[in-house]
Amino acid sequence: MRQENELIRLDNVKVTYPAGTEALKDINLSVQKGEFMFVVGSSGSGKSTFIKTLLGEVKAASGRLLVAKHDLGRMKRRELPYYRRTLGVVFQEFRLLDDRNVYENVALAQRVIGVSSDKVRRNVMQMLEMVGLDERKRAYPKELSGGEQQRVAIARAMVNRPSILLADEPTGNLDPKNSWEIMNLLEEMNQLGTTVIVVTHNNEIVDKLKKRVVTLNKGEIINDEVQGGYIQ
Amino acid sequence: MKTLGYGLRQGLKNIGQNRLFSLAAIGTIATCLFLLGIFYALISNFQNMVYNAESNVGITVFFDEGISEDQINWIKEKVLACKTVEKVVYISADEAWERFQKEMYSEDDKIEDTFGGDNPLKDSASFEVYLSDVSNQESIIHFIKKLDGIRKVNGSNTVASSLTNFNLLVTYVSASIIILLLMVSIFLISTAVATGIRVRKDEISIMRYIGATDLFIKMPFLVEGVVIGMVGAIIPLILLWFLYGRMVQFILTHFEVLSRWLTFVNTAEEFKTLIPLFLLVGVGIGFVGSAVSVQKHLREME
Repeated sequence: MRQENELIRLDNVKVTYPAGTEALKDINLSVQKGEFMFVVGSSGSGKSTFIKTLLGEVKAASGRLLVAKHDLGRMKRRELPYYRRTLGVVFQEFRLLDDRNVYENVALAQRVIGVSSDKVRRNVMQMLEMVGLDERKRAYPKELSGGEQQRVAIARAMVNRPSILLADEPTGNLDPKNSWEIMNLLEEMNQLGTTVIVVTHNNEIVDKLKKRVVTLNKGEIINDEVQGGYIQ
Repeated sequence: MKTLGYGLRQGLKNIGQNRLFSLAAIGTIATCLFLLGIFYALISNFQNMVYNAESNVGITVFFDEGISEDQINWIKEKVLACKTVEKVVYISADEAWERFQKEMYSEDDKIEDTFGGDNPLKDSASFEVYLSDVSNQESIIHFIKKLDGIRKVNGSNTVASSLTNFNLLVTYVSASIIILLLMVSIFLISTAVATGIRVRKDEISIMRYIGATDLFIKMPFLVEGVVIGMVGAIIPLILLWFLYGRMVQFILTHFEVLSRWLTFVNTAEEFKTLIPLFLLVGVGIGFVGSAVSVQKHLREME
Protein backbone atom coordinates (compact mmCIF):
# COMPACT_ATOMS: atom_id res chain seq x y z
CA MET A 1 0.00 0.00 0.00
CA ARG A 2 2.81 2.31 1.03
CA GLN A 3 4.73 1.62 -2.23
CA GLU A 4 1.64 2.28 -4.35
CA ASN A 5 1.27 5.72 -2.83
CA GLU A 6 4.95 6.53 -2.96
CA LEU A 7 5.56 9.59 -5.14
CA ILE A 8 9.19 10.38 -4.36
CA ARG A 9 11.89 7.93 -3.40
CA LEU A 10 15.57 8.60 -2.76
CA ASP A 11 17.88 5.60 -2.21
CA ASN A 12 21.42 6.44 -1.08
CA VAL A 13 21.42 9.61 -3.11
CA LYS A 14 24.72 11.43 -3.11
CA VAL A 15 25.27 14.80 -4.79
CA THR A 16 28.75 16.14 -5.27
CA TYR A 17 29.59 19.55 -6.73
CA PRO A 18 32.49 19.93 -9.21
CA ALA A 19 34.69 21.48 -6.49
CA GLY A 20 34.34 18.18 -4.65
CA THR A 21 31.91 19.38 -1.99
CA GLU A 22 29.45 16.68 -0.95
CA ALA A 23 26.15 18.58 -0.84
CA LEU A 24 23.99 15.51 -0.11
CA LYS A 25 25.33 12.34 1.49
CA ASP A 26 23.51 9.02 1.18
CA ILE A 27 20.02 10.44 1.41
CA ASN A 28 17.23 7.90 1.89
CA LEU A 29 13.74 9.30 1.84
CA SER A 30 10.22 8.37 0.79
CA VAL A 31 7.39 10.84 0.23
CA GLN A 32 3.80 9.67 -0.21
CA LYS A 33 1.12 11.09 -2.50
CA GLY A 34 -0.68 13.97 -0.82
CA GLU A 35 1.93 14.51 1.89
CA PHE A 36 2.91 17.95 3.21
CA MET A 37 6.58 18.03 4.14
CA PHE A 38 8.94 20.69 5.43
CA VAL A 39 12.65 20.48 4.73
CA VAL A 40 14.60 22.53 7.26
CA GLY A 41 18.20 23.12 8.17
CA SER A 42 20.79 25.82 8.53
CA SER A 43 22.56 27.49 5.59
CA GLY A 44 24.74 24.99 3.74
CA SER A 45 22.78 22.03 5.09
CA GLY A 46 21.83 20.91 1.55
CA LYS A 47 18.22 22.19 1.40
CA SER A 48 18.69 24.02 -1.89
CA THR A 49 20.60 21.11 -3.40
CA PHE A 50 17.74 18.85 -2.34
CA ILE A 51 15.22 21.02 -4.27
CA LYS A 52 17.58 21.36 -7.27
CA THR A 53 18.03 17.58 -7.36
CA LEU A 54 14.26 17.04 -7.35
CA LEU A 55 13.97 19.59 -10.17
CA GLY A 56 16.53 17.69 -12.23
CA GLU A 57 18.80 20.72 -12.20
CA VAL A 58 21.53 18.85 -10.34
CA LYS A 59 22.35 15.20 -11.05
CA ALA A 60 23.02 12.71 -8.31
CA ALA A 61 26.54 11.29 -8.37
CA SER A 62 25.23 7.97 -7.08
CA GLY A 63 22.09 6.37 -5.71
CA ARG A 64 18.60 6.19 -7.18
CA LEU A 65 16.05 8.98 -7.34
CA LEU A 66 12.48 8.20 -8.43
CA VAL A 67 9.93 11.01 -8.74
CA ALA A 68 6.43 10.37 -10.06
CA LYS A 69 7.67 7.21 -11.81
CA HIS A 70 10.57 9.09 -13.44
CA ASP A 71 14.04 7.70 -12.76
CA LEU A 72 16.04 10.93 -12.67
CA GLY A 73 19.39 9.18 -12.96
CA ARG A 74 18.47 7.65 -16.29
CA MET A 75 16.50 10.56 -17.62
CA LYS A 76 17.66 12.00 -20.95
CA ARG A 77 18.06 15.76 -21.34
CA ARG A 78 15.14 15.95 -23.78
CA GLU A 79 12.82 14.22 -21.28
CA LEU A 80 13.46 16.81 -18.56
CA PRO A 81 10.81 19.35 -19.69
CA TYR A 82 8.11 16.66 -19.63
CA TYR A 83 9.20 15.55 -16.16
CA ARG A 84 9.10 19.14 -14.92
CA ARG A 85 5.47 19.37 -15.96
CA THR A 86 4.68 17.03 -13.07
CA LEU A 87 6.12 19.63 -10.70
CA GLY A 88 5.12 23.14 -9.67
CA VAL A 89 7.80 25.44 -8.30
CA VAL A 90 7.59 28.51 -6.08
CA PHE A 91 10.64 30.61 -5.24
CA GLN A 92 11.50 33.04 -2.46
CA GLU A 93 11.94 35.91 -4.93
CA PHE A 94 8.65 35.12 -6.76
CA ARG A 95 10.28 35.22 -10.24
CA LEU A 96 7.37 36.83 -12.06
CA LEU A 97 7.81 38.50 -15.44
CA ASP A 98 7.59 42.25 -14.88
CA ASP A 99 6.49 43.02 -18.44
CA ARG A 100 3.40 40.80 -18.22
CA ASN A 101 0.30 41.20 -16.11
CA VAL A 102 -0.98 38.71 -13.56
CA TYR A 103 -3.08 36.83 -16.11
CA GLU A 104 -0.21 36.52 -18.62
CA ASN A 105 2.22 35.37 -15.93
CA VAL A 106 -0.06 32.50 -14.99
CA ALA A 107 -1.07 31.76 -18.58
CA LEU A 108 2.60 31.30 -19.57
CA ALA A 109 2.68 27.98 -17.70
CA GLN A 110 -0.29 26.76 -19.75
CA ARG A 111 1.09 28.03 -23.06
CA VAL A 112 4.37 26.24 -22.43
CA ILE A 113 2.56 22.91 -22.40
CA GLY A 114 0.44 23.77 -25.45
CA VAL A 115 -3.01 24.22 -23.87
CA SER A 116 -5.60 25.76 -26.23
CA SER A 117 -6.54 29.43 -25.71
CA ASP A 118 -10.08 28.63 -24.46
CA LYS A 119 -8.80 26.27 -21.84
CA VAL A 120 -6.02 28.65 -20.87
CA ARG A 121 -8.59 31.35 -20.12
CA ARG A 122 -10.78 29.00 -18.10
CA ASN A 123 -7.94 27.41 -16.12
CA VAL A 124 -6.12 30.66 -15.41
CA MET A 125 -9.25 32.42 -14.18
CA GLN A 126 -10.13 29.44 -12.00
CA MET A 127 -6.65 29.49 -10.49
CA LEU A 128 -6.69 33.25 -9.95
CA GLU A 129 -10.02 32.94 -8.15
CA MET A 130 -8.50 30.27 -5.96
CA VAL A 131 -5.63 32.50 -4.89
CA GLY A 132 -7.98 35.49 -4.60
CA LEU A 133 -6.49 37.58 -7.38
CA ASP A 134 -9.12 37.28 -10.12
CA GLU A 135 -9.93 40.94 -9.81
CA ARG A 136 -6.30 41.93 -10.17
CA LYS A 137 -5.68 39.95 -13.34
CA ARG A 138 -4.64 43.04 -15.29
CA ALA A 139 -2.22 44.32 -12.67
CA TYR A 140 1.51 44.14 -13.28
CA PRO A 141 3.82 42.52 -10.68
CA LYS A 142 5.23 45.88 -9.59
CA GLU A 143 1.72 47.04 -8.66
CA LEU A 144 1.27 44.09 -6.26
CA SER A 145 2.37 43.52 -2.67
CA GLY A 146 4.91 40.78 -1.88
CA GLY A 147 2.14 38.49 -0.67
CA GLU A 148 0.11 39.05 -3.81
CA GLN A 149 3.13 38.38 -6.00
CA GLN A 150 3.76 35.10 -4.22
CA ARG A 151 0.10 34.16 -4.72
CA VAL A 152 0.52 34.78 -8.45
CA ALA A 153 3.61 32.55 -8.36
CA ILE A 154 1.58 29.83 -6.63
CA ALA A 155 -1.17 30.18 -9.23
CA ARG A 156 1.44 29.80 -11.99
CA ALA A 157 2.94 26.76 -10.28
CA MET A 158 -0.47 25.12 -9.78
CA VAL A 159 -2.32 25.99 -12.99
CA ASN A 160 -1.02 22.88 -14.79
CA ARG A 161 -2.23 20.71 -11.88
CA PRO A 162 1.15 19.21 -10.99
CA SER A 163 1.31 16.27 -8.62
CA ILE A 164 4.11 17.86 -6.60
CA LEU A 165 4.54 21.47 -5.48
CA LEU A 166 8.07 22.46 -4.48
CA ALA A 167 8.36 25.71 -2.54
CA ASP A 168 11.82 27.08 -1.88
CA GLU A 169 11.60 29.57 1.04
CA PRO A 170 8.18 30.81 -0.11
CA THR A 171 7.81 33.14 2.88
CA GLY A 172 11.42 34.35 2.93
CA ASN A 173 10.55 37.81 1.60
CA LEU A 174 7.21 38.23 3.35
CA ASP A 175 5.96 39.73 6.61
CA PRO A 176 4.30 37.35 9.15
CA LYS A 177 0.74 38.13 8.00
CA ASN A 178 1.50 37.46 4.33
CA SER A 179 3.62 34.46 5.29
CA TRP A 180 0.62 32.85 6.99
CA GLU A 181 -1.61 33.63 4.04
CA ILE A 182 0.84 31.89 1.73
CA MET A 183 1.14 28.89 4.05
CA ASN A 184 -2.65 28.62 4.22
CA LEU A 185 -2.76 28.65 0.46
CA LEU A 186 -0.15 25.90 0.26
CA GLU A 187 -2.16 23.85 2.73
CA GLU A 188 -5.23 24.39 0.58
CA MET A 189 -3.33 23.06 -2.46
CA ASN A 190 -2.26 20.08 -0.36
CA GLN A 191 -5.85 19.39 0.62
CA LEU A 192 -6.73 19.23 -3.06
CA GLY A 193 -4.34 16.28 -3.37
CA THR A 194 -1.05 17.92 -4.32
CA THR A 195 2.07 16.73 -2.54
CA VAL A 196 3.72 19.83 -1.08
CA ILE A 197 7.39 20.11 -0.12
CA VAL A 198 8.40 23.37 1.53
CA VAL A 199 12.00 24.32 2.20
CA THR A 200 12.05 26.96 4.91
CA HIS A 201 13.87 28.76 7.68
CA ASN A 202 10.65 29.90 9.29
CA ASN A 203 10.60 27.98 12.60
CA GLU A 204 7.35 29.56 13.76
CA ILE A 205 5.42 28.23 10.79
CA VAL A 206 7.07 24.80 10.98
CA ASP A 207 6.32 24.47 14.70
CA LYS A 208 2.71 25.59 14.38
CA LEU A 209 1.65 23.55 11.37
CA LYS A 210 2.74 20.20 12.83
CA LYS A 211 3.52 18.57 9.50
CA ARG A 212 6.26 16.12 8.56
CA VAL A 213 9.66 17.78 9.05
CA VAL A 214 12.91 16.52 7.51
CA THR A 215 15.95 18.20 9.01
CA LEU A 216 19.17 18.36 7.03
CA ASN A 217 22.61 19.07 8.40
CA LYS A 218 25.80 19.09 6.31
CA GLY A 219 24.07 17.12 3.57
CA GLU A 220 22.65 14.42 5.84
CA ILE A 221 19.16 13.82 7.20
CA ILE A 222 19.52 14.15 10.94
CA ASN A 223 15.81 14.01 11.77
CA ASP A 224 12.59 12.96 10.03
CA GLU A 225 9.42 13.41 12.12
CA VAL A 226 5.80 12.93 11.08
CA GLN A 227 4.43 15.80 13.16
CA GLY A 228 7.69 17.47 13.81
CA GLY A 229 9.06 20.83 14.80
CA TYR A 230 11.97 23.02 13.88
CA ILE A 231 15.31 21.77 15.23
CA GLN A 232 17.88 24.56 15.64
CA MET B 1 1.32 24.96 -34.23
CA LYS B 2 0.66 26.62 -30.86
CA THR B 3 4.41 26.76 -30.28
CA LEU B 4 4.78 28.49 -33.65
CA GLY B 5 2.02 30.98 -32.80
CA TYR B 6 3.62 31.77 -29.45
CA GLY B 7 7.06 31.97 -31.09
CA LEU B 8 5.75 34.39 -33.71
CA ARG B 9 4.19 36.74 -31.14
CA GLN B 10 7.21 36.70 -28.86
CA GLY B 11 9.66 36.89 -31.78
CA LEU B 12 8.02 40.06 -33.09
CA LYS B 13 8.01 41.43 -29.54
CA ASN B 14 11.75 40.69 -29.30
CA ILE B 15 12.39 42.68 -32.46
CA GLY B 16 10.47 45.61 -30.98
CA GLN B 17 12.36 45.37 -27.70
CA ASN B 18 15.80 45.17 -29.36
CA ARG B 19 14.95 47.79 -31.96
CA LEU B 20 18.48 49.07 -32.33
CA PHE B 21 20.15 45.72 -32.90
CA SER B 22 17.31 44.50 -35.07
CA LEU B 23 17.56 47.59 -37.27
CA ALA B 24 21.34 47.22 -37.52
CA ALA B 25 20.95 43.58 -38.53
CA ILE B 26 18.18 44.39 -41.05
CA GLY B 27 20.32 47.22 -42.46
CA THR B 28 23.35 45.00 -42.91
CA ILE B 29 21.41 42.17 -44.52
CA ALA B 30 19.67 44.66 -46.80
CA THR B 31 23.01 46.21 -47.78
CA CYS B 32 24.56 42.82 -48.31
CA LEU B 33 21.68 41.59 -50.43
CA PHE B 34 21.52 44.87 -52.32
CA LEU B 35 25.16 44.39 -53.28
CA LEU B 36 24.46 40.75 -54.06
CA GLY B 37 21.66 41.94 -56.33
CA ILE B 38 23.96 44.38 -58.11
CA PHE B 39 26.64 41.73 -58.59
CA TYR B 40 24.03 39.23 -59.70
CA ALA B 41 22.64 41.71 -62.23
CA LEU B 42 26.16 42.38 -63.50
CA ILE B 43 27.01 38.69 -63.76
CA SER B 44 23.71 37.64 -65.30
CA ASN B 45 23.83 40.44 -67.84
CA PHE B 46 27.46 39.73 -68.59
CA GLN B 47 26.67 36.05 -68.99
CA ASN B 48 23.81 36.97 -71.26
CA MET B 49 26.16 39.04 -73.38
CA VAL B 50 28.76 36.25 -73.33
CA TYR B 51 26.05 33.80 -74.37
CA ASN B 52 25.05 36.01 -77.26
CA ALA B 53 28.69 36.45 -78.23
CA GLU B 54 29.23 32.72 -77.91
CA SER B 55 26.35 32.05 -80.26
CA ASN B 56 28.23 34.12 -82.82
CA VAL B 57 31.53 32.40 -82.21
CA GLY B 58 31.60 29.36 -84.46
CA ILE B 59 33.96 26.68 -85.62
CA THR B 60 34.32 26.38 -89.40
CA VAL B 61 34.85 22.87 -90.74
CA PHE B 62 36.12 22.38 -94.33
CA PHE B 63 35.79 19.02 -96.10
CA ASP B 64 38.21 17.08 -98.27
CA GLU B 65 37.88 17.64 -102.00
CA GLY B 66 35.23 15.52 -103.72
CA ILE B 67 33.54 14.46 -100.46
CA SER B 68 30.18 12.71 -100.93
CA GLU B 69 26.87 13.94 -99.49
CA ASP B 70 26.58 10.81 -97.33
CA GLN B 71 29.94 11.49 -95.79
CA ILE B 72 28.94 15.11 -95.07
CA ASN B 73 25.78 13.87 -93.36
CA TRP B 74 27.79 11.36 -91.33
CA ILE B 75 30.15 14.15 -90.17
CA LYS B 76 27.14 16.32 -89.23
CA GLU B 77 25.65 13.52 -87.10
CA LYS B 78 28.96 12.95 -85.35
CA VAL B 79 29.44 16.65 -84.59
CA LEU B 80 25.85 17.11 -83.42
CA ALA B 81 26.32 14.22 -81.01
CA CYS B 82 28.90 16.28 -79.08
CA LYS B 83 27.50 17.64 -75.79
CA THR B 84 27.96 21.39 -76.11
CA VAL B 85 27.26 21.63 -79.84
CA GLU B 86 24.11 23.69 -80.23
CA LYS B 87 23.72 23.67 -84.00
CA VAL B 88 25.53 22.78 -87.20
CA VAL B 89 24.88 24.88 -90.31
CA TYR B 90 25.87 23.61 -93.76
CA ILE B 91 27.32 26.25 -96.06
CA SER B 92 27.46 25.03 -99.65
CA ALA B 93 30.25 26.10 -102.04
CA ASP B 94 27.81 28.41 -103.87
CA GLU B 95 26.68 30.05 -100.63
CA ALA B 96 30.31 30.52 -99.60
CA TRP B 97 31.10 32.19 -102.94
CA GLU B 98 28.04 34.43 -102.65
CA ARG B 99 28.98 35.52 -99.10
CA PHE B 100 32.53 36.17 -100.22
CA GLN B 101 31.35 38.37 -103.08
CA LYS B 102 29.04 40.33 -100.78
CA GLU B 103 31.70 40.90 -98.17
CA MET B 104 34.56 41.75 -100.53
CA TYR B 105 33.06 43.54 -103.53
CA SER B 106 30.43 46.15 -104.14
CA GLU B 107 27.41 45.37 -106.26
CA ASP B 108 28.84 47.38 -109.11
CA ASP B 109 31.88 45.15 -109.44
CA LYS B 110 31.33 42.55 -112.11
CA ILE B 111 33.31 39.89 -110.30
CA GLU B 112 31.38 37.11 -111.98
CA ASP B 113 32.79 38.19 -115.31
CA THR B 114 36.32 37.77 -114.01
CA PHE B 115 35.71 34.12 -113.23
CA GLY B 116 33.46 33.53 -116.19
CA GLY B 117 30.59 32.21 -114.04
CA ASP B 118 32.80 29.57 -112.38
CA ASN B 119 32.86 29.18 -108.64
CA PRO B 120 36.48 29.53 -107.51
CA LEU B 121 35.43 28.23 -104.07
CA LYS B 122 33.89 25.04 -105.44
CA ASP B 123 35.69 22.88 -102.87
CA SER B 124 34.91 25.24 -99.99
CA ALA B 125 31.63 23.75 -98.70
CA SER B 126 31.76 23.85 -94.93
CA PHE B 127 29.96 23.43 -91.65
CA GLU B 128 29.57 26.26 -89.16
CA VAL B 129 29.45 24.69 -85.70
CA TYR B 130 27.90 26.75 -82.85
CA LEU B 131 28.60 25.86 -79.23
CA SER B 132 26.60 26.48 -76.06
CA ASP B 133 29.81 26.80 -74.04
CA VAL B 134 32.85 28.24 -75.77
CA SER B 135 35.26 26.84 -73.19
CA ASN B 136 34.82 23.43 -74.87
CA GLN B 137 35.88 24.71 -78.25
CA GLU B 138 39.36 23.22 -78.22
CA SER B 139 38.23 19.68 -77.44
CA ILE B 140 35.50 19.86 -80.11
CA ILE B 141 38.04 21.05 -82.72
CA HIS B 142 40.33 18.20 -81.70
CA PHE B 143 37.47 15.73 -82.08
CA ILE B 144 36.38 17.03 -85.51
CA LYS B 145 39.94 17.02 -86.86
CA LYS B 146 40.12 13.28 -86.20
CA LEU B 147 37.04 12.51 -88.34
CA ASP B 148 37.44 11.18 -91.90
CA GLY B 149 36.86 13.66 -94.74
CA ILE B 150 38.00 16.76 -92.83
CA ARG B 151 40.50 19.09 -94.53
CA LYS B 152 40.69 21.97 -92.10
CA VAL B 153 39.03 23.22 -88.91
CA ASN B 154 39.09 26.92 -87.93
CA GLY B 155 38.23 28.07 -84.42
CA SER B 156 38.29 31.39 -82.60
CA ASN B 157 40.10 30.47 -79.45
CA THR B 158 41.19 33.86 -78.28
CA VAL B 159 37.70 35.30 -78.13
CA ALA B 160 36.35 32.17 -76.49
CA SER B 161 38.92 31.87 -73.75
CA SER B 162 39.08 35.57 -72.89
CA LEU B 163 35.28 35.72 -72.56
CA THR B 164 35.26 32.67 -70.29
CA ASN B 165 38.18 33.93 -68.18
CA PHE B 166 36.64 37.36 -67.64
CA ASN B 167 33.34 35.78 -66.72
CA LEU B 168 35.10 33.61 -64.12
CA LEU B 169 37.00 36.58 -62.70
CA VAL B 170 33.80 38.59 -62.17
CA THR B 171 32.13 35.58 -60.53
CA TYR B 172 35.03 34.94 -58.12
CA VAL B 173 35.44 38.58 -57.08
CA SER B 174 31.75 39.10 -56.46
CA ALA B 175 31.40 35.73 -54.67
CA SER B 176 34.23 36.68 -52.27
CA ILE B 177 32.68 40.05 -51.44
CA ILE B 178 29.25 38.52 -50.96
CA ILE B 179 30.54 35.74 -48.68
CA LEU B 180 32.32 38.34 -46.53
CA LEU B 181 29.15 40.44 -46.25
CA LEU B 182 27.02 37.40 -45.45
CA MET B 183 29.37 36.55 -42.59
CA VAL B 184 28.99 40.08 -41.21
CA SER B 185 25.21 39.70 -41.43
CA ILE B 186 25.26 36.39 -39.58
CA PHE B 187 27.40 37.98 -36.86
CA LEU B 188 24.98 40.90 -36.49
CA ILE B 189 21.93 38.64 -36.28
CA SER B 190 23.69 36.52 -33.67
CA THR B 191 24.41 39.66 -31.66
CA ALA B 192 20.80 40.85 -31.91
CA VAL B 193 19.54 37.44 -30.78
CA ALA B 194 22.14 37.21 -27.99
CA THR B 195 20.93 40.55 -26.66
CA GLY B 196 17.37 39.26 -26.76
CA ILE B 197 18.39 36.17 -24.82
CA ARG B 198 20.14 38.26 -22.16
CA VAL B 199 17.08 40.51 -21.83
CA ARG B 200 14.81 37.47 -21.46
CA LYS B 201 17.15 35.48 -19.21
CA ASP B 202 14.62 35.37 -16.32
CA GLU B 203 11.80 34.36 -18.59
CA ILE B 204 13.86 31.53 -20.11
CA SER B 205 14.84 30.28 -16.68
CA ILE B 206 11.18 30.29 -15.53
CA MET B 207 10.04 28.59 -18.71
CA ARG B 208 12.58 25.83 -18.10
CA TYR B 209 11.22 25.29 -14.58
CA ILE B 210 7.67 25.01 -15.81
CA GLY B 211 8.52 22.42 -18.43
CA ALA B 212 9.09 24.31 -21.66
CA THR B 213 10.82 22.24 -24.33
CA ASP B 214 13.97 23.52 -26.02
CA LEU B 215 11.99 24.17 -29.20
CA PHE B 216 9.43 26.29 -27.31
CA ILE B 217 12.21 28.38 -25.77
CA LYS B 218 14.15 28.72 -29.02
CA MET B 219 11.17 29.46 -31.27
CA PRO B 220 10.83 33.23 -30.52
CA PHE B 221 14.54 33.75 -31.22
CA LEU B 222 14.45 31.71 -34.41
CA VAL B 223 11.39 33.68 -35.53
CA GLU B 224 13.24 36.91 -34.67
CA GLY B 225 16.19 35.88 -36.86
CA VAL B 226 14.00 34.71 -39.73
CA VAL B 227 11.86 37.89 -39.67
CA ILE B 228 14.98 40.10 -39.59
CA GLY B 229 16.38 38.10 -42.52
CA MET B 230 13.12 38.31 -44.46
CA VAL B 231 12.72 42.08 -43.97
CA GLY B 232 16.40 42.46 -44.86
CA ALA B 233 15.66 40.60 -48.11
CA ILE B 234 12.47 42.43 -49.06
CA ILE B 235 13.95 45.96 -48.78
CA PRO B 236 16.71 45.46 -51.40
CA LEU B 237 14.27 43.55 -53.63
CA ILE B 238 11.99 46.60 -53.76
CA LEU B 239 14.93 48.96 -54.29
CA LEU B 240 16.43 46.82 -57.04
CA TRP B 241 13.08 46.41 -58.77
CA PHE B 242 12.88 50.17 -59.25
CA LEU B 243 16.57 50.74 -59.89
CA TYR B 244 17.25 47.91 -62.36
CA GLY B 245 14.72 48.91 -65.00
CA ARG B 246 15.70 52.56 -64.73
CA MET B 247 19.39 51.78 -64.99
CA VAL B 248 18.93 49.64 -68.10
CA GLN B 249 16.84 52.35 -69.67
CA PHE B 250 19.42 54.98 -68.73
CA ILE B 251 22.27 53.01 -70.36
CA LEU B 252 20.27 52.29 -73.48
CA THR B 253 19.18 55.89 -73.96
CA HIS B 254 22.38 57.65 -72.93
CA PHE B 255 24.91 55.27 -74.48
CA GLU B 256 23.36 54.40 -77.78
CA VAL B 257 26.68 53.19 -79.19
CA LEU B 258 26.83 50.48 -76.54
CA SER B 259 23.24 49.47 -76.99
CA ARG B 260 24.12 47.74 -80.29
CA TRP B 261 26.05 45.02 -78.55
CA LEU B 262 24.75 45.24 -74.98
CA THR B 263 21.76 42.97 -74.55
CA PHE B 264 20.21 43.24 -71.08
CA VAL B 265 18.18 40.59 -69.26
CA ASN B 266 14.68 42.01 -68.69
CA THR B 267 13.49 42.92 -65.17
CA ALA B 268 10.93 40.13 -64.85
CA GLU B 269 13.47 37.52 -65.93
CA GLU B 270 16.04 38.91 -63.51
CA PHE B 271 13.62 38.83 -60.55
CA LYS B 272 12.53 35.28 -61.31
CA THR B 273 15.87 34.32 -59.78
CA LEU B 274 16.42 37.27 -57.44
CA ILE B 275 13.18 36.88 -55.42
CA PRO B 276 13.69 33.24 -54.37
CA LEU B 277 17.45 33.78 -54.04
CA PHE B 278 17.07 36.79 -51.72
CA LEU B 279 14.35 35.19 -49.61
CA LEU B 280 16.38 32.00 -49.30
CA VAL B 281 19.57 33.84 -48.40
CA GLY B 282 17.78 36.30 -46.06
CA VAL B 283 15.78 33.65 -44.25
CA GLY B 284 18.77 31.31 -44.31
CA ILE B 285 21.22 33.70 -42.68
CA GLY B 286 18.51 34.83 -40.25
CA PHE B 287 17.87 31.25 -39.22
CA VAL B 288 21.53 30.21 -39.08
CA GLY B 289 22.56 33.39 -37.20
CA SER B 290 19.84 33.00 -34.58
CA ALA B 291 20.19 29.20 -34.29
CA VAL B 292 23.93 29.47 -33.62
CA SER B 293 23.42 32.21 -31.05
CA VAL B 294 20.47 30.50 -29.33
CA GLN B 295 22.31 27.20 -29.09
CA LYS B 296 25.42 28.84 -27.63
CA HIS B 297 23.72 31.14 -25.12
CA LEU B 298 21.04 28.73 -23.93
CA ARG B 299 23.70 26.11 -23.20
CA GLU B 300 25.63 28.70 -21.20
CA MET B 301 22.51 29.46 -19.16
CA GLU B 302 21.89 25.84 -18.19
